[in-house]
Formats: sequence, C-alpha cells, structure tokens
Amino acid sequence: MTDNSAAGKNRTIVELATFYVGDALCGMDILNIQEINKLMQMTKVPQAPDYVLGILNLRGQIVTIIDLGRKLGLGETDISQDPRNIIVNSAGGHVGLLVRKISDVVTADMSKREAAPANMRGIQGEFFKGVFKTENTLIGILNVEKVLSLEE
Amino acid sequence: MEIEDDEILQGFIEESLEHLADIENDLLAIEEGGAQIDEDLVNKVFRAAHSIKGGAGFMGLTRIQELSHAAENVLGMIRAKKLIPTPEIVNVLLIAADQLQNMIEDVQNSNEVDITSHLIPLNAIADGTFSQPPAEAPPQPASSQAKAAEKTPQVSEVAPPADPPPLPEPILQPDPVVAEEPVVAESATEINDIEPTGHYENSDDDSAYPEEENNDEIAPPPGDITVKAKQGTQAKGETSLRVHVSLLDSLMNLAGELVLSRNQLLQTIGSDNLRNAEAVGQRIDLITSELQEAIMLTRMQPIGNVFNKFPRVVRDLSKKLRKSIDLTIVGKDVELDKTIIEAINDPLTHLVRNSVDHGIELPEQRKKVGKTERGLVILKAYHEAGQVVIEISDDGKGLDGEALAASAVQKGLITAEQAQVMSDKEKVNIIFLPGFSTAKEVTDVSGRGVGMDVVKTNLDQLGGNVDIISEKGAGTTISIKLPLTLAIIPCQIIETGGERYAIPQVNLEELLRIPANQVKERVERVGDAEVVRLRGTLLPLIRLSDVIGIERTYYDHQEDQIKPDRRELISDRRGKESPLLRREDEPAKKASKNRNEYPRSVIDRRYSASSALNIVVVSTGSMKYGLIVDRLQDSEEIVIKPLGRHLQQCKGYAGATIMGDGRIALILDVSNLARMAQLTSIDRSDRAAEVAKAAEEALKAKLDRQSLLIFKNSETEHFAVPLNQVERIEKIKRSDIEDLGGKRVMKYRGGSLSLICVDDLAMVQPLADHENLLVIVFNIAKRAVGLLATGPIDALEVSAEIDDTTLSQPGIMGSIIIDNQTTMLVNVFEMVQSLFPNWFIEQEKFVVEEIEEGEPPNILIAEDSKFFRNQVKGYMTEVGYNVIEAEDGVEAWDKLEEFGDTISLLVTDIEMPNMNGFELTQRIRRESRYSQLPIIALTTLASAEDVAKGQAVGVNEYHIKLDKERLMVSVHDYIKRRH
Repeated sequence: MTDNSAAGKNRTIVELATFYVGDALCGMDILNIQEINKLMQMTKVPQAPDYVLGILNLRGQIVTIIDLGRKLGLGETDISQDPRNIIVNSAGGHVGLLVRKISDVVTADMSKREAAPANMRGIQGEFFKGVFKTENTLIGILNVEKVLSLEE
Repeated sequence: MEIEDDEILQGFIEESLEHLADIENDLLAIEEGGAQIDEDLVNKVFRAAHSIKGGAGFMGLTRIQELSHAAENVLGMIRAKKLIPTPEIVNVLLIAADQLQNMIEDVQNSNEVDITSHLIPLNAIADGTFSQPPAEAPPQPASSQAKAAEKTPQVSEVAPPADPPPLPEPILQPDPVVAEEPVVAESATEINDIEPTGHYENSDDDSAYPEEENNDEIAPPPGDITVKAKQGTQAKGETSLRVHVSLLDSLMNLAGELVLSRNQLLQTIGSDNLRNAEAVGQRIDLITSELQEAIMLTRMQPIGNVFNKFPRVVRDLSKKLRKSIDLTIVGKDVELDKTIIEAINDPLTHLVRNSVDHGIELPEQRKKVGKTERGLVILKAYHEAGQVVIEISDDGKGLDGEALAASAVQKGLITAEQAQVMSDKEKVNIIFLPGFSTAKEVTDVSGRGVGMDVVKTNLDQLGGNVDIISEKGAGTTISIKLPLTLAIIPCQIIETGGERYAIPQVNLEELLRIPANQVKERVERVGDAEVVRLRGTLLPLIRLSDVIGIERTYYDHQEDQIKPDRRELISDRRGKESPLLRREDEPAKKASKNRNEYPRSVIDRRYSASSALNIVVVSTGSMKYGLIVDRLQDSEEIVIKPLGRHLQQCKGYAGATIMGDGRIALILDVSNLARMAQLTSIDRSDRAAEVAKAAEEALKAKLDRQSLLIFKNSETEHFAVPLNQVERIEKIKRSDIEDLGGKRVMKYRGGSLSLICVDDLAMVQPLADHENLLVIVFNIAKRAVGLLATGPIDALEVSAEIDDTTLSQPGIMGSIIIDNQTTMLVNVFEMVQSLFPNWFIEQEKFVVEEIEEGEPPNILIAEDSKFFRNQVKGYMTEVGYNVIEAEDGVEAWDKLEEFGDTISLLVTDIEMPNMNGFELTQRIRRESRYSQLPIIALTTLASAEDVAKGQAVGVNEYHIKLDKERLMVSVHDYIKRRH
C-alpha cells in the first residue's frame, strides 16, 4: 500500500479508469479502485444524505453506496439501466460509487492535465482535479478524496 | 537518527516492552522480599535488562544501552547479594525502567534523551555500596535522606530536576570492579557517599513523578489522569497481540476444514444432489461457529494485563501520600475482549487512584478510628451471569452520602426535595452525576469524586454498569459489570417499511401487541403525543417509520405483503384528517397526497388482524417508550459492523449487521431515536411524574408503615387492627355463636372462645345483621379472644398518619385514612382489658411489686410518630414506669446524656429522621458507660435483615409496634434484671 501511494505521487503516467456519470466522461486513477461490481442487493438507509443510495454487504464489509450522479449534481443515476458500482477504499472504509456505465482504461500523462474549467458542463469543479484531453473527448479527472469527503 | 532495518527494530521494541512490563512487578516483588532475595526473580529481571542492553547495543541505541547497563549493574549486585534491595534502590530501578520504556516507545529520539539523572543514582548505588558493608550502610543514608526529602517537598521542588547535581564520580564508568576502593578509606567515602545519595534522592523525587508532582497533590484534576493514561495505552503496542500457539493451531485446523467443506460444497453444487448439499451445509455451519468461537478467543485477554500495573500505581501513590496500603489482586486470569481490556484501563486507573487518594485515610487517622494502620485496596475480577464483574474496594473512610447530596443541591444538580427522598445508595451514586465532581471543593467536602462522571461515561460506552456501595467509615466498594465481548450482541429483529432493523436486547423491555379491537381503547392522545396504557402507566409511542422519515406501512398477513398505511393516527379507524398532526408531520402530508394512488382495500381492515399494533417497548437510561413497527421477527445474535462516515450523521443507527440472507439490517440507537422524535418533552413530564411518585413513596417509607387488617362492623363504619396482632381469621355462621351467662362464646379448637364486638366497648354502630360473620382471633394475656366482624376484609400496608385524638374513645386508639375512608383503629388490648379485667390481675401484681422498691425506673422512648409514642408511653405509664420521650435519635441521645444512668431502658423506633434507631444504637454502644443499657427496638415490619442488622449494632430485642403484651413482658424482664 505504502509503496503504491509513494510511487503514485511521483508518477506522471497513470492509467485512468473512465466511466460515465450521466453524460459526462470521468476518470480516476485505476489504483484507487478495488473492484467494480454490478449493483447488488442494497439496503436503504432512511435519513441518509440524498446522495447515499444505501448500504450493501460486500463479503462481510458494509459498503456505503454513493450515487455519483447526484453527488456531482449530474442527475440521479437510473438504477434500472444496470449501473456499475466502483468500490474504492477510502479512509473511512469501503465506499461504492455508482456510475452509469464503465468505459475504457486510458493511459494518461498527468503532467499534461489541464485545470478544470470553472464551470465544466454544470459540474461543480471542486470535485475535479482537472481535465485530460484524448483524441476525441475530454475526461474529467475525479478528485476522489473530495468526492468522498463529508459536506459541512 | 536512522535505523536501517524496520522489522528488527520493531522486534526489539516489542520484546523490550514486554520485558519492561514484567520488570515492574518483579521489582516490586523484590522490594517486598527485602533481604530474602528470590534469586530466580532477580535473575529474571537481570536477564531482561541484559537483553535490552544487548539489543540496544546492536541497534546503536546508545542511551538505552547505557541506562540498561547501569540498571543491570545494580541488579547484578543484588543478585550477588552484595546489595539489599531497599525500597529506595528499587525506586531508582523502577524509575530507570520507566525511562527505558519511554525511550523505547520513542526509539527514534532515544539517543537525544538526557539520562544522566538516572545514571547518577544507579551508578551511585553500584559504587557507593561497594565500598561499604553491604548489610546496613547503604539503606540508612538513603532512607533518612528520602524521609527528609518527603518532609520538605518544597525543597526538592526547588532543585531543578534536569540539572544533574555535581558529583565526584565520573558519569559513565559504573563498573563496580573498577570502582573498588581500599577499605581503609571507609569513613571518608562514607561522608562522600551520603552527599550524592542525598542529592540523587532529591533529584529523583522530581524526575520520578513528573505528572504526580503537578496534578496529584490531593485531588488530581479529572482530565489529566485520563489524558495521561490514554497516552500510555496508545503508546503501548496495540497493533500486535500475543496468541497461544495451540489456539493458532486450532484456527489453522478450522480454516483447513473450511477449505475442505468449500470443495465439497462446490462438488455438490455441480452434482445437484440435495442431500449432500444439506450435509455440507451443516458441516459449514459447524465449522464457522467453531471458527467464530476460536477467533473470539484470540481476542480474549486476561484482565491481569490491566491489573498488573496497579501494584506500582498504588505503591507510588501511597508512598507519595504517606499512606501505607496493601493491594490485593484477585482474578487476574479472568478474560475479557481486547477492546474492553484496553478501554477499562483508564476508568480503572482512575478508580484505584481514587481509592488510594481519597478512600484510604492517613495511618494516624486510621489508628484513631480503630483500624489497622495499613489500608487495604482489593481489586477483584470474576464472572457472574455471563458478565465480568470488577470490584475495587477499600477499607477507607467511605462516602458521606449526606455531604454529597448537600453539595449536589448546592450545585443545582438536584433539588432539595429530590435529595430528601433519595436513598443512601442513591446519594452515594451522586458522584457519578455529570458536572458534580469538577470543582476541588467538592473533593474536600465529599472526600471523593474526581471526574467520576467521566468514568461512568466511559463504562457506559462499553455497555458496562457501575455501582457504588459505601458505608461511611467502613469503606467503599465500586463494582463494574462488563459484557464479555462487544462484538456480538443479541438483538430483536423487527421490520418496518419492508426493511429489517435490529434493536439491541439490552434496550428491550418487552414486546406488546395490541389487537385491532383494542387499539381504540388503549391508544390515546395526550396533546399531539400518542400514548398507550400499559399496566396503569402511560407509555409514549413513536412510529419508527415517522422518526426515520419513511412512508407508513403495515403488514398484511393475508396477502403477505407490506402495504402503505393511510391512517393518520394510530387510534383512527378511518383516515380522518387531523390538522394538528398534519402541520407537524411532514411525511404524513406526503402520504396523504399519494392517497389516490392506492385503491381502497376491499376488506375492511379496521377489524382485521393486520390492524393490530406491534410495539417494541424499549428503555434507555431514563427514557422508556414504545416503538411501533410493522412486524416483529426473531431475536438473533448479530455482529455489529460500523457504518461508513457518510452515514455518521444518521443518528438513529448504532451500526449495521449482516443477516443470514446476506442483506444488511440497521441497528437502531434507541436513545437517539427518542431524541429525534423529540420525546424529551414527554419524557420530562413522565420523568417528573415518576420522580414525584418516587418521592411520595419515599415519604411514605419515612413514615412508619403499618400492616393493617381492614374490616367492618356495621355496614358503614370501617375498622382496622394491626395485622401482626391477629392470630387467625375464622368464617362462622351467626348460629355458631352461643350466648351463655351474658357472654358470647363459640366452640373453637376444642374449647370456648370468648367473643367480643367493637360495639361492646366503643360507641359505634352495632354489628351488622349478617348470617355470615368473621371472627378475628387475637391472643391477649395468653388467652384467645375473638372479635366479631363482617367482611369484606383486606390486609393493607399503609403509611398514613394516624390521628389519635379526633375519634379516640375507649376501645378505639385512633383513626387513619385509608383510600379516602376514615378507618378506626381498634385497640383490642384495651377492649379485652376492660371487658375481661380478671385476665390481667397477675400482671398488674407483678408491676406493683417492681415499683415498690423505690423510684419508678426511667424509660427513654425514641419515636418520631406521635401516635406510636403516645401508645408506647401509655403502656409504660400505665404500669408505673416513668417515661422520657424523644422525637428522634438525636434528641434521644441528648436525653440520654442528660439523664445518664437514671435511664434503665431505651425503647427506640428504627425509622426516624436525623438519626435512626440503628445509628442511635451504634452511638450508644460505642460509649462504654452505656454498654449495659438494654435497647429494645420497635418496628412495624421486622424483616430478618433488619433484625440481623439490629443485632449487629447492639439491639437487645426486637418488638413489633402495638404488640403491647410482648413488649411489656420484655420491658419488665429487662428492668427486673437491671435492679
């Protein structure tokens, strides 16, 4: 673990796992991801923040599912459309990020990353570290820690 | 500083810390042994120091090496019997061990630590003793200096601790062989030695108790201890755990079995053989439960891990406070979950320190009150009813409940009324009240109670329970009950809104189902709160769905479905709209909007089983309420899993658990649910009522309780006699009564029973003309007499004030209000006396004889109730005794002091204000001049416990109030003996 993070800081070439949140293509460092699941049986948590969809049992671990669409303000993810669940390991335990669709893994040079535009297609820029340009599209690079941090 | 190999270093640290943990207690044992050196023990400590030295040398930790080397030298001398381990020497070693521990815990910076203040005394011991006769010389200067230092702590504080005192010896050459000096120089070296010895004792006192010096004088501020202890526990390796190899082996076996079973399972899945699958399922079930147990075992740690540090704590603290205290530890082997062991460390430390600091008195004081000079603190752990009980008891001065109560009232934590009705035990428990024990002056008043609320909170968090039993002057026992483990708890599973929830069984009071046809009667509204009548009390109700803000649903048994519930109120049978509820209840509003979406059910649900209410009655601390849920399911043992941080804001849940089907159920936090439902207002009034009730009861208890037999004579008048005078009650027919020679008798047990009527003597309405009568049989003057009465009869315990004037007349001693009925209290004795005067002739004679001897004897009567006092006084004066009255124990004592020897007998009530009968007796018995004074205690209800307690404090005899005959016999008896 420590090796990974230490190396990660110095790396400029990273592999980005990309996925669609609503219509926006987002990406995050693939090393942050533990696994990607289908949405399994979920338990609703009444009174939870609206972006928390519920909790599920991931091999004995309680995982909180966050609807990334709602969290980023890109609209609710439609559960009937077979969304995917990206399990990331954050400081407070496992968290699942619900996304509409998984896309390719893109190798990106982080030094060529560009700052996020102040108003990136309605997305709150604060959740993005920047954007990465590929040949035909833009990938918003998610700031996972920011996404997972608690709102005041 | 850089250390190359992390793993080796880590190994060294762990090993060294383990050695040090043992060293402490071993050193204390060595100290206790004194001149009788236990070689094995010394060897063990020596080896420990030696291995630390070796390891440190290898790692390049020079300071640790130096210090352990110096300690090793001293230990070597003890081992070679060249040195007797006096408390002072052991002290130096202990402090050195502490320093070693500190350095090892912060190994990276250990080479920068200044350890000269430790090396100097160590080396001085090694050198100084070598040139002196090893038997007596070294301890003397050391101890005398130590005493001097203790007597004048100011002086030692002035000396800067970091500044090593100038010494003639070189610092880093402690080798005893080199330091050998000619014996000729003995006198010179001795002088030389005393100086440094004295110095290092002084400097020790500073460096040894850095924390104590600051905050420990008499009352350590609450925060400091906890903070300090926390640092201690955090620093100690929590990350690794020692597990017995055999346990690990069994785990390994089980894991192997599990793998085999999995293989079997995979095979069976392929083969479609259902019977095999069943067998495999059973096997896996078995293995997993065994595995679970084994893994839980690895978490179990002996409580000795915590207990073992207390000998040192007690030793250091008692030395500092100049008390002499023995610590007895019982039950070191009792095992508890690792998390609990870690968490009880602080509270226990606090409690033990409290016992030493505030519980045990100074030796002089102990001597004064007749205790042994050495105080005793007992630390005990044992299993009881699936829990672990830890007791910390001392034989110190105990807690003064009154002072605590007074102080709590002063602080506004409780009202004076509350304080008045509190039992002694409740008063003692005041010290757990939050906000009670922060200020120092409380400590002065109560002698105890620093940050006890913190202790209680900590233990509460563990699901523990703490209780204090204290007797003023005799000591205090604090007992802590803890669950064996926190990880698995039994829970009641319930269902609401299609999801399952778990309610911990500790919060569960009972399950209640109100059938559909009773809902209307039993569920009521008070304001906007709904309540249910439960055995005479009103229980506030909360709908779980409302609190957590989900749609109201109900479970339809017929269709086995969860359906939305459209009723606004529990008691409503139609969806009546209530503006009151609507305004405040948002979810209900939403539900009503959606109303059209649900077609009306064909069956009228009002009377169907699904309209029944399922209520889980839960309690938490002071609150008790009913939680309405859709369905009740089984109770299960569940494993608590924490919720992620995004759900921390949901206060209603204590965590989550995974159910048998792999889905998750949330664990409800009962107290927070109540808060969310804003139950506090209801709760407060409820509590107020409860407190008022308790107050009333306590007041009743303060008054004398009297068991009475209630009966009637005529239809309208109510009578009562003290139940304890009644021998038996017979049902008879009017025709059984025979009227012979102007007297009524009946056949009774082969003889004739004289019958009397209340109206024979008293001016009351005549006996009602019933065919069925009752005969209440009394035994008076050794004869049976029957009182005719009519029913209904009832035995009651009452504590109302007896009015002995208004309705008093011959045969009636007074009246009492029972259930709003004025009831006359019949004086059977008086009736018999006037109706059958010849029965008493013998006794009268006896008394006359007595009194002829001279002055009538003085009898002191202590009784708070005027009625009973007058009664007893009446008995006494009737036969010629002189009576001195006192309204309570304090007055009785004053009277006793006033009249002194002229008082021949004390008749005292037990329950009295200011000073009760027990206390009065205790006080009297303490004085040798009153040791011969007979004391008769009067009670209304003599429980075996009371009798035993009375005997213990020195009561000669017990009598039941209003049992004139027995009382008088015993009074005569004592008076006769005395004259």
